[in-house]
Amino acid sequence: MYDIKALYEAESVQDAIRLLQEHPEAQVLAGGSDVLVQIREGRRAGVELVSIYMLDELRGVTIDEDENIRIGSLTSFSHITNDPIIQKYINVLGEAVDMVGGPQIRAIGTIGGNTCNGVTSADSASTLMAWDAIIEITGPEGVRRVPIRDFYIKAKVVDLRPAEIQTAILIPKESYDRCFGHYIKYSMRNALDIATTGCSVNVRLSEDRKTIERVRIGYGVAAPVPVRAYTAEEFLNGKEITDANIKEFAETVLNDINPRDSWRAGKALRRHISVVMAERALRESISLAGGVVNG
Amino acid sequence: MISCIINGKKRSFDIEPTRRLRDMLLMNGNFAVRDSDDAEGFCGSDTVLLDGTPVFSNLVLAGEVEGCEIRTPDSLGNSMNLTVVQQALVDAGVVQSAYNAPAAALLMTWLFENNPSPTREEVKDVLSGIFIRDAGYEHYYLAAELIKEKLAGGEYKTEIAPEFRPNLRAVGKVMPKIDAPQLVSGERAFVEDYVDDDTCYMVVLRSPYACAYVNKIDTSKAEALPGVVKIITAYNCPDVTYMSAGQGNPEPSPHDRKLLNKKVRHVGDRVAAVIAETLEEAIRARDLIEVEYEPLGAVFTVEEAMAEGAPLVHNGIVEYRAGAPDDLEEYNSKAGDEREGKVVYQFPLHGDIRHNIAAANHGFIGDVDKAFAEADAVVEATYQTSQIQHTPLETHICFSKLENGRLIIYASTQVPYHVRRIVSWVTGLSENKIHVIKTRVGGGYGSKQDILVEDLTAYATFATGRPVLYHNTREEEFIANSTRHPMRVHVKMGGKKDGSITGIYLKVDANTGPYGNHALTVPMNSCSKTLPLFKCDNMKYDLTIYYTNTPPAGAYQGYGTPKGTYGLMMAMCELADKLGVDYKEMVLKNHVEEGYMLEILKGLGEGREGNVVPVGSCGLREAVEKGCEMIEWGKREESDDPDWKIGKGFAMIMQGSGLPGLDHANAICKLEMDGSIIVTSGAADIGTGLDTIIAKVTSDILCIPIDKITVISGDTDSGAFDTGSYASSGTFFSGNAAVVAASNLRKKIIEEAAYQSCEDAEDFELEWPGKVVSRKTGKVLTFYEIIHTSTSGTGRGHLIAPGSFTTAASSVPYGAHFAQVAVNVRTGEIKVQKFYAIQDAGTPINPEAALCQMYGASLKSIGHTLYEDMILDKDGRCVNANMTDYGVPMISEQPDDFKAVLIDVNDDHGPFGAKSISEIACNGAAPAIGNAIHDACGVWMRSWPMTPEKLLRELGKIK
Repeated sequence: MYDIKALYEAESVQDAIRLLQEHPEAQVLAGGSDVLVQIREGRRAGVELVSIYMLDELRGVTIDEDENIRIGSLTSFSHITNDPIIQKYINVLGEAVDMVGGPQIRAIGTIGGNTCNGVTSADSASTLMAWDAIIEITGPEGVRRVPIRDFYIKAKVVDLRPAEIQTAILIPKESYDRCFGHYIKYSMRNALDIATTGCSVNVRLSEDRKTIERVRIGYGVAAPVPVRAYTAEEFLNGKEITDANIKEFAETVLNDINPRDSWRAGKALRRHISVVMAERALRESISLAGGVVNG
Repeated sequence: MISCIINGKKRSFDIEPTRRLRDMLLMNGNFAVRDSDDAEGFCGSDTVLLDGTPVFSNLVLAGEVEGCEIRTPDSLGNSMNLTVVQQALVDAGVVQSAYNAPAAALLMTWLFENNPSPTREEVKDVLSGIFIRDAGYEHYYLAAELIKEKLAGGEYKTEIAPEFRPNLRAVGKVMPKIDAPQLVSGERAFVEDYVDDDTCYMVVLRSPYACAYVNKIDTSKAEALPGVVKIITAYNCPDVTYMSAGQGNPEPSPHDRKLLNKKVRHVGDRVAAVIAETLEEAIRARDLIEVEYEPLGAVFTVEEAMAEGAPLVHNGIVEYRAGAPDDLEEYNSKAGDEREGKVVYQFPLHGDIRHNIAAANHGFIGDVDKAFAEADAVVEATYQTSQIQHTPLETHICFSKLENGRLIIYASTQVPYHVRRIVSWVTGLSENKIHVIKTRVGGGYGSKQDILVEDLTAYATFATGRPVLYHNTREEEFIANSTRHPMRVHVKMGGKKDGSITGIYLKVDANTGPYGNHALTVPMNSCSKTLPLFKCDNMKYDLTIYYTNTPPAGAYQGYGTPKGTYGLMMAMCELADKLGVDYKEMVLKNHVEEGYMLEILKGLGEGREGNVVPVGSCGLREAVEKGCEMIEWGKREESDDPDWKIGKGFAMIMQGSGLPGLDHANAICKLEMDGSIIVTSGAADIGTGLDTIIAKVTSDILCIPIDKITVISGDTDSGAFDTGSYASSGTFFSGNAAVVAASNLRKKIIEEAAYQSCEDAEDFELEWPGKVVSRKTGKVLTFYEIIHTSTSGTGRGHLIAPGSFTTAASSVPYGAHFAQVAVNVRTGEIKVQKFYAIQDAGTPINPEAALCQMYGASLKSIGHTLYEDMILDKDGRCVNANMTDYGVPMISEQPDDFKAVLIDVNDDHGPFGAKSISEIACNGAAPAIGNAIHDACGVWMRSWPMTPEKLLRELGKIK
């Protein structure tokens, strides 16, 4: 028995916004795999819920007129993993959300819920950070778009204003074109476990595949919100693919991350692992992009 | 109104849209949609198909399914008419305690409906959302193969399990567990399925403090709420001191608690019990109880408990039912006030509660000091184990009611007769007034050997006259139940260059938590089920068991043995390393063999003198040789990735088959009016197939097909006394009692046939199926003819035979578990690539179930070794008291190459040569994996769980 005051079923995005205006304390319910767990734990007692789960218009992956990959916020993890557009352009995202584990969760968990919960360990978070995703938000004032790095404000808090809902996640062409990436989830167990640290890297190589044209690296659980390691990226951009450069890139991530001690793992472990993962994910990304390490 | 289609039928419900989908399905009677109280999406017991996709029904609101199509597990076949998928699960042997077997059947059905020929990876993916603790996952892969074969050609081709004893028809044969069809199809089976409509709910207010006096409880506001029936506290409960372990009476555990105590001793300890008309009312009332606590200092580790001046967990009066020491009066002059309660030893256990010592034991043979002095090398190390929870899928539950002036208790228990005795103590009712009905049990693993909820629930009914249901939350399973004792095992071992072990010293400091249930015997097992593996003339052990303020400890599959085995086998590997001897050679040189006299057992009885016996049937050497051959012992494996190092390790293991001289079992065998058989057994089948064992031995003795035999068990009214299912006693004791009863009935049938034919009994013998034949005259009488005549008005009456079994014989199962691990020296990841469980279980009566139990116990103990650990904060609160954070192994953690192998050994004392099988399989993983990690990367992992963090620290990669 959950302590829920009321459930309002939205019939359209506009209807959802209206319901949220009428019930300013209400929480948006998507798949429910996070929100209902929190309610069950006794958090959010007496909450009102506005369900957007019936809004099929928020489901699906398309390429829009600006050539952005547009992922509707209610698109489920299993849908993303199996979607041909995702598989073609940003397969790493499909792999990342597949690690959530269990067909029951993958069927119901949504990419929107996974980002709106503001949790740094969310399996999609570091990859969306590393691919400079744009969050599309619809509210009483219309639609606005926010880069994902600005969307995360602090732990469990995202940039959603009153009566706003997240309606899509966009990956701009400039972000996915000729990019290849790899995600590593470091956790104690394989399925149904929370990431100790997650690392997502992607690269775009030069024509001759000897130089890193652009690298991006995102982390989950390396700070209170998902973060990028910009110092490391700046170091490697435009550099030749060499062992020394790869290693220095990996070491440099320590300037950008700030993991903490918790009962799950100590700071020392998370720092150590972050460096190891940076190197491994980078090497894998380079290899996916057809690059080779020169000396 | 919410309208949807459930299992093809249109349904409408007048239900709040904020209720869970599962609540709605329960209203519709789909009770096979179970709840493991993991509404975090973990166990998968609540899985249903929503518009053709699996979802957790606890994570979907009723309001979200308007117009949807829902399929539940009970939509598949019923027990008389199983589907191909259900039948394959039954045939593969995975339907054991089976709380979420219907959900697993639904997932497998979904898989095959969408993909008639799934790969192993696809099977794994589908089962990644369901937690199986009892049987592991290996035979789910087998079931998938069987389904494929059945769908393709109509017949199974793959061998399910090897068969044993070709001369017998039932024993040793692959044959469905008799309760499996009922369980897999999700028919009424568990306590929750028998709850009456007018039942009250009970919830328990639990202590927020690790140690405090409860000075005052004000229940007035709570009692003023509508629906509240009664609130029980330390101030109005019976003044009866007992304890929760379901052990033989008198127990080797101190009686140190009442139903509710004026001193709470752990976070989660009982403070008050609220009985109300509904669960919601009970919870609301609980939140209104006002308690005045006086917080006290607490201790959480044995180091803290043994420190000079440490806060005392128990400091009341100490009493002895027998063997009181002379200075008891003086000892008691230092006791605290009456809020402390008292500690009553049934006989001396060498406890000293004024130093937090609940019990102690010491013993030796030979001279270890001399042995160490003469050794070429000596190793000495301390091994620490963690606090581990059983995590049964069915959390602890009890339903009680009054009927015809008697107290009726539906219990999910391993020990129905001990439940009856303890409820009798608490209520003051005599045992004839109490009826305990053990239903099917959704996972026990030792946690249901303790009377953790039945005492309070039954008392609530006794005190109110109302039917009462109590059901633990998942959090309560962790903080208020029982757990594996954390232990500090210190080993010193000396050896010669030729590989012979000269001496072994074992010092065990165990943490029993706030109460002393199993305090002596669990730690005792870390010696009594390990030291007798060694042919060594000099051995010594010191055991001290400390009270602390952690969540309670208790019985857990393997009992104390996994901890002792961990320390001893790792120390032995280290010694071999130091001596430059191959570990395998050292094992082969030092292990016991048949006939070796086990002098060490003298001091290792359960609180009294133990039996010194020779080693009986023993497949230990064969298990070691077989495993070494399978894993290619001595061959170094290399990975393509230089970060991954690969190593191999193994451990010898043993257990017991019940407690000789203590355990006792009975069965009653009855020839029914048409010649079929009903066996009434005191046994408590907790999903392991014990009822099937009883049916099988009866079948072979009475020459009658198994479908003509019904086993009624676990019911204290109809059966005769049985100590219960613990200490690996089921097959050996309850099975042997059935052998005795069936043999007695066989004799009676023959005598009756002879009487009816006017011939001599010695000329008759039984013949398949259900006939008696005279060798002399060729006369044939069917069981039907015999019983028909004997129960006619002129006959001699019904043919009924009791059978009782006790023994001094000790039949020990042996084995060896092998692991090959890959260790990533940069990330610390540890992967168990291969795991081989090789065991001598005597005659495996249910071979496929035996294999599944070996897989299940091995996977569980891989979990204990690598992941599982209850973490307490500085105030004694468990910070990871849920499934996701606690971290049990699931299908993805299973080793890629996982094998269970049964060594064929016939035992002299077991029923048809059988020994125990399941518990021993918890003993090998930790040392096998620990030794393999050393082989891989050179570090000794001396504490559980062996995490990447600890490994990287040992490797010097992090500080």
